[in-house]
Amino acid sequence: MQKENKIKLFLVDDDALLLKSLQLQFLEHADFDVITFATGELCIASLTENPDVIILDYHLDGIEANAMNGMQTLDNIKSFNPDIPVIMLSSQDKIDVAINCMHHRAFDYVVKSETAFMRLQKIISTIFRYKKMEKELSWYMDRM
Amino acid sequence: MDTTTTQESQYARSLIEASLDPLVTINTLGKITDMNQATANITGITREKLTGTDFFDYFTEPQKAREVYQEVFAKGSVADSPLTLRHKNGKLTDVLFNGSVYKDENGNVLGVVVVARDVTAQKLLSKYSLSLIEASLDPLVTISTEGKITDMNQATVNITGVTREKLTGTDFFDYFTEPQKAREVYQEVFAKGSVADSPLTLRHKDGKLTDVLFNGSVYKDDRGNVLGVVIVARDVTDQKRVATELIEAKVFAELATEIAEHAKSKAESATRIAEDAVKAKQQFLSNMSHEIRTPMNAIIGFTKVVLKTDLTEKQKEYLSAIRVSGDALIVLINDILDLAKVDAGKMTFEKTPFKMSASISSMLHLFETKIQEKNLQLVKEYDKKIPEVLVGDPIRLHQIILNLVSNAVKFTTSGQITVKVRLLEEKDENVRIEFAVSDTGIGIIPEKVQHIFENFQQATSDTSRLYGGTGLGLAIVKQLVEGQGGSIQVDSTIDQGSTFSFQLDFQKTKAAAELEAGLVELDSEIKNIKVLVVEDIALNQLLMKTLLDDFGFERDIAGNGKIAIEKLQTKSYDIILMDLQMPEMNGFEATEYIRTKMNSKIPIIALTADVTTVDLAKCKSVGMNDYIAKPVDERLLYSKIVGLVQKPTSKKLADKDKAVIEANTAKCTNLEYLNKRTKSNPELMMEMISLYLEQTPPLIKVMKEGLQEKNWKALHAAVHKMIPSFSIVGINIKYENIAKNIQEYSGTETQTDQLPALVAQIENICTQAYKELEEELDIIKNTN
Repeated sequence: MQKENKIKLFLVDDDALLLKSLQLQFLEHADFDVITFATGELCIASLTENPDVIILDYHLDGIEANAMNGMQTLDNIKSFNPDIPVIMLSSQDKIDVAINCMHHRAFDYVVKSETAFMRLQKIISTIFRYKKMEKELSWYMDRM
Repeated sequence: MDTTTTQESQYARSLIEASLDPLVTINTLGKITDMNQATANITGITREKLTGTDFFDYFTEPQKAREVYQEVFAKGSVADSPLTLRHKNGKLTDVLFNGSVYKDENGNVLGVVVVARDVTAQKLLSKYSLSLIEASLDPLVTISTEGKITDMNQATVNITGVTREKLTGTDFFDYFTEPQKAREVYQEVFAKGSVADSPLTLRHKDGKLTDVLFNGSVYKDDRGNVLGVVIVARDVTDQKRVATELIEAKVFAELATEIAEHAKSKAESATRIAEDAVKAKQQFLSNMSHEIRTPMNAIIGFTKVVLKTDLTEKQKEYLSAIRVSGDALIVLINDILDLAKVDAGKMTFEKTPFKMSASISSMLHLFETKIQEKNLQLVKEYDKKIPEVLVGDPIRLHQIILNLVSNAVKFTTSGQITVKVRLLEEKDENVRIEFAVSDTGIGIIPEKVQHIFENFQQATSDTSRLYGGTGLGLAIVKQLVEGQGGSIQVDSTIDQGSTFSFQLDFQKTKAAAELEAGLVELDSEIKNIKVLVVEDIALNQLLMKTLLDDFGFERDIAGNGKIAIEKLQTKSYDIILMDLQMPEMNGFEATEYIRTKMNSKIPIIALTADVTTVDLAKCKSVGMNDYIAKPVDERLLYSKIVGLVQKPTSKKLADKDKAVIEANTAKCTNLEYLNKRTKSNPELMMEMISLYLEQTPPLIKVMKEGLQEKNWKALHAAVHKMIPSFSIVGINIKYENIAKNIQEYSGTETQTDQLPALVAQIENICTQAYKELEEELDIIKNTN
């Protein structure tokens, strides 16, 4: 993961302040290529850029009542490319919301809090570990 | 001439009279004609009466006396004929009868002159010797030169079973089992004059054998001619029997010793096996505990982290259960490790100066929550006379009191826990202090009191089920107290409570306490501390990151000592948390390098999983400032970091911080978080603030409208969106909670009557924040 292998990260949140804050943290702690989007629609439109990970707010339709919500965005991303891992971010701490997200093939679900960033970071490293393992596995499978 | 004759005759007469031996003249008829005084004395009869009486009547054997008398006439004289005179009172006198005839000028025999020599004394002596000889239990025999027995004593008769008469004149050698050997010994006597302790065996006529030691020597007459041999045969049957018994006893003793030695070596090998088994068991326990502890650290650490996030009541309950179980497990594991250390003799005690009072206070502080939860009272009685700084082992003291107090809390449902610290005696060099922990709990029945200090023992078998615990705590306490030369007692009344008290000696000192053991309260003002965590295990890295983030400290992670040193060369830190066991370069090496090669005095705290004294000594010797045991206690970590960082960085920083804080007190916002996030980058700061200023007014508007139009959904959404911004711009958490309430009420459409007041509060604070941030934005713009 040395050269152009910089991880491309999509951050989607309609809370500009939080979005910026997260972006800063990611830039500070990890050498990520962070691209931010205020709405789900904008994110979908940019999927062709092949993001490695997407962090998606659950509540995208807070102000704009007609905006695409987090769940719809998630479904759209997954129909575009089911292999893109999506981490849902929400201030909801209700378990059924989280489970619902998981059913929609979100990789993980993180509640917004002081430690959210740390958890995101951990999840991302887990994702890459999985990917690496999958890659290795398929390599071995091929050889067999 | 006549006169001369008369004179001579008178002289002879006086001589005769002076003799003590009886002298008598007897005529041919046997009648006494004259006698001297001695005769009168021995017979007890006067001269007058004696004269003319029959001489022979005065002997015990008159016939024998007459024969001797006749012998005198026949032979002319007789010498030493033994006879016995009788006194008229019956007293007998042994005499030797010597007599000779006296004649006239013509040769006619006129009579006999008899001298009876008194031999009573001589006879007595010889009788005495004879009786001695007879009394001897050893056979005594005299043998002639021809080898014939001439005389013997009674013992000889007894042993041979042959009478004296038959023995006399027989061949002496016939009575031995080996006659030839006896003869040789006998010949040896003649050749050498004597022989000593020659072993031979005498045979009784009935066949009974007697072992004897043959001693003999020749006896001679006055002229030196050898007359024969005197033999003493010492009966050694008893000696031989005793010797045999002794030999047998000796053999038995040797056998017994052999058996005993065998048993001993068996016991020794059994002991060795047992000891090895115990050692192996301890090693296993110790290793297992150590292995378990590492993952447990992560479990407990993250549970604590998760507990701080937004959780439902149920989740909190479940996580609390995990945390409590985890804590209990860690306590158990530490206990096992401690006991293993004590058993292996590895438990050593430090001698460091510390502040006793502060140390105990801070430790009791840890119980506050628990005590409040159980609605108990904690009373601390501290003797003011105790010197402030003492030398001892504060960690072990903590451990002891911690164990006792946690027991007290565990077994007490109502009432109070009293911790008393009393000065018992003070000497020039040291002080003796008594610590007592009393509770008003369930108490211990008297029969169980003596067992409670044993490993895995609790007062009742139900104790573990009802109150938990493993029964190791008090065993460790006892070991720790006694290991430091103290003693521990318990005084308990069932249902009334128990008092555990122990006494320990501490040295007095003039040195200042090395470390403040006191815990510093979490102080939200102390931030801006840059921490470098050197730790190789990813989980632990993450845990430290999380903890430090919680404290609001900046932190950097290095995977080993080498990376840490590289980082130190490019960046400055306030403090280093250093794990000890790491690949590439371990904590000791790294610290040594930092201290000696880089000449840096940066505070270093060691992170160690297993607090052994060896490690601690090593930590100190390489120049570490302090250590902290894993699992890391949050508050302890915080206080140690703050304690170490604040000391050297002097008051400058603190003063500066203070100024900032004072300035901020009036404000509702705090840009600390933003400063940290943006690394005080003004552009980023401006960007963030602008974003807030942009985003907030529409949200307030939607919120107000939602309330007015009772559009709960819109209200909910707006407030929901607003919440994250509070912490970013540093608005007090109180308002965030208010906002959360609004969110909840509007979401569930309950208690809507309270909403207007809450919304107004949020609107006010947001408006105020808006103004303040506008000002901040201007300041940043102007200063840059």
